[in-house]
Amino acid sequence: MVLFWWESLSLFGRSYGQCEGSYVVVTCDQMDMVGGDKDKFELESRNEEDPMNFAAPSPSPSVDWRFGGLVPTGNPMAVSKGSTSMVVDSFGPTLWDQSQTANPQNLGGLFSDINNVQNSAGNSDTLGIRKVLNLKGGGGIFLPGNGMLPQSLSQFPADSAFIERAARFSCFNVNGGNFSDMVNPLESMGGTNYFRGGGMMQEVFGGNGQSHSQKNEVMNVDEAFKDVSMSVGEHEHEHGATGGGGSPLKNVRSHDEAKQGIGVGGSGPGNDSDEAEFSTAGGQDEPSVLEGTTGGERFAGGLESKKRKRSEQDTELDLAKVGPQQPGESAKDDTEIQQNGDQKPTSTTNKSSGKHGKQGSQASDPPKEEYIHIRARRGQATNSHSLAERVRREKISERMKFLQDLVPGCSKVTGKAVMLDEIINYVQSLQRQVEFLSMKLATVNPRLDFNVEGLLSKDILQSRAGPSRLGFSPDMPMAYPPLHSSQQGLIRAGLSGLGSSSDLHRRTINSQLTPMTGGFKEPTRLPNVWEDELHNVVQMSYGTSATPNSQDVDGSLPPGHMKVEL
Amino acid sequence: MNSKRFSPTSSTIKSRFTRRFLRALLKINRQRTRTPSSPMEICQRYLKVKLAADVSMASAVGSRRAWSRAMLAKIRHGVRAGSTTSLAMRKRKIYHGKKSTKEVGIVGNAKVLRKLVPGGEAMDTCSLLDETFHYIKCLSTQVKVMTRIADQLCST
Repeated sequence: MVLFWWESLSLFGRSYGQCEGSYVVVTCDQMDMVGGDKDKFELESRNEEDPMNFAAPSPSPSVDWRFGGLVPTGNPMAVSKGSTSMVVDSFGPTLWDQSQTANPQNLGGLFSDINNVQNSAGNSDTLGIRKVLNLKGGGGIFLPGNGMLPQSLSQFPADSAFIERAARFSCFNVNGGNFSDMVNPLESMGGTNYFRGGGMMQEVFGGNGQSHSQKNEVMNVDEAFKDVSMSVGEHEHEHGATGGGGSPLKNVRSHDEAKQGIGVGGSGPGNDSDEAEFSTAGGQDEPSVLEGTTGGERFAGGLESKKRKRSEQDTELDLAKVGPQQPGESAKDDTEIQQNGDQKPTSTTNKSSGKHGKQGSQASDPPKEEYIHIRARRGQATNSHSLAERVRREKISERMKFLQDLVPGCSKVTGKAVMLDEIINYVQSLQRQVEFLSMKLATVNPRLDFNVEGLLSKDILQSRAGPSRLGFSPDMPMAYPPLHSSQQGLIRAGLSGLGSSSDLHRRTINSQLTPMTGGFKEPTRLPNVWEDELHNVVQMSYGTSATPNSQDVDGSLPPGHMKVEL
Repeated sequence: MNSKRFSPTSSTIKSRFTRRFLRALLKINRQRTRTPSSPMEICQRYLKVKLAADVSMASAVGSRRAWSRAMLAKIRHGVRAGSTTSLAMRKRKIYHGKKSTKEVGIVGNAKVLRKLVPGGEAMDTCSLLDETFHYIKCLSTQVKVMTRIADQLCST
């Protein structure tokens, strides 16, 4: 298993050539492969592997320089590879040397050094560890041995929140919670090599690390991976050309950058925040998420309400601070970051520091947008549940407003329950109206042969209020004009239909019909009629004498009405 | 409702519904027997007309709305279940009173609304309100068209 993992890594590395960024790709691809156990195995396998074939992701240059004593041993190997690889090589063997020498203390000291640096930055995890872990998604490289890393890790002031976040970072089975922290410090490095080797990963990890706490961590990770591999590929081409010629120089420069990056990162939390912003590439909420989770130590200042463009600007600033030596690469990195940012969705969902204005999710990239990102408003609970509930409640009230406009007579009604009552009444009344009208249409005698369907359509479509008096008024028995028998029957049928369907709610319907129909004449009489039609007697007047029903409409029905019980 | 549109060629829900419904009415009326209809026949015809109204409205809306889809599904699959619920049974339900009186609050009303709106059972409150909104609009269109048809048939 160890070898398998290692070999796959090397394969990846080879496939991507000797470019400096190859590691990153490998790493990113291997991210999901990395498991906690693998970390230890990595180191062990590394021991066996030829250092020259060190295609594995390399620790960040910062780590290299931090482990001052270790660097020299790794340099010769490093030269052959890219900067990051060099660093890895240098670090790896050196680390192994440490482990070989059974010198956990050194590593522990190293880690603690890194830790201290990180502590200054407010992060519990050391940069080195982060980078290492970042690279491998589990810090396997730097696991000196089975027992060493745990020791060193134990030295890190455990940031419970961070660990929690990392634990939630399902895609990467990272040891403890170093992962997301790794990302940030890595970002702070800012070095091009760092960026390429670790920066890509930083982006990935940064985006992932910050998003891991959210539901879409998996998504982000996958996308970040894609992005990283894409960006890495681009970078590789760039750096491959340059790296081939001046890899040693680059390595040196990367080291310097790493140093500077670390220095920058260590000195200024703001830088880290910027870097974090930079690395996350567009996750404005991500920093805030980190804030909330980690306490915002590292990202307190700069992350709040940072937009992607601003993050890019910050990135550029940071890069400038870190290393003007490779401005071109930095620019490319920025573009890469921008691209990644564009490709990656805003990772955070609902968590925020609660200080930002409501931010619509539509601001993020739609194609990969899978979640709705909300910012908690000022002074409101930032619990994910309460945020989601608030969103839901707002949606519901928005829709209730629409319904209020639709249902007549509801403008003065306040409160959702009463409004819903009115809506229910209205829907019921409409449904009964349809029933009544269909009954009416069923009973009507089509004296016309419906040849005038076209005419009807036109007439009906041209909704003119004139001819359509809603059918009720002329048919009302109130008028009792000398109607045609069929019409009378229709009246009866209509009334009975209405009465049958709205027995208990006729008054309600009546009251609602009045405003709705508009042409409702003498609505007061309807209840009387309906009361007579309590048992849904449909009175059809077809001239046939049927069993006279005891219930008669107002007693003024012409004789011969047949009542049908339905 | 669509007073702005006077062209019958515009395919609005109203026009689509009108056309389908008129066609269905024609078909139903063709089935009429010459003899005066018995009450049962009228009842059956009433149900057919009602069904035609529902179907034409749902198909005019199409599959864009959950309630139309649910209504069409119910009609296709549950014709036996729907129409056999005789009017008498339905009246009895109405006699028993609106369930909303028993259940108070938004949730209670939402339950009642779910029963009213086709397909409302399997919806969350948010989309239920959406569907209700659209359903009310279509119902009012239906009522308007049907009244006009009835007027046309009755008055002429």
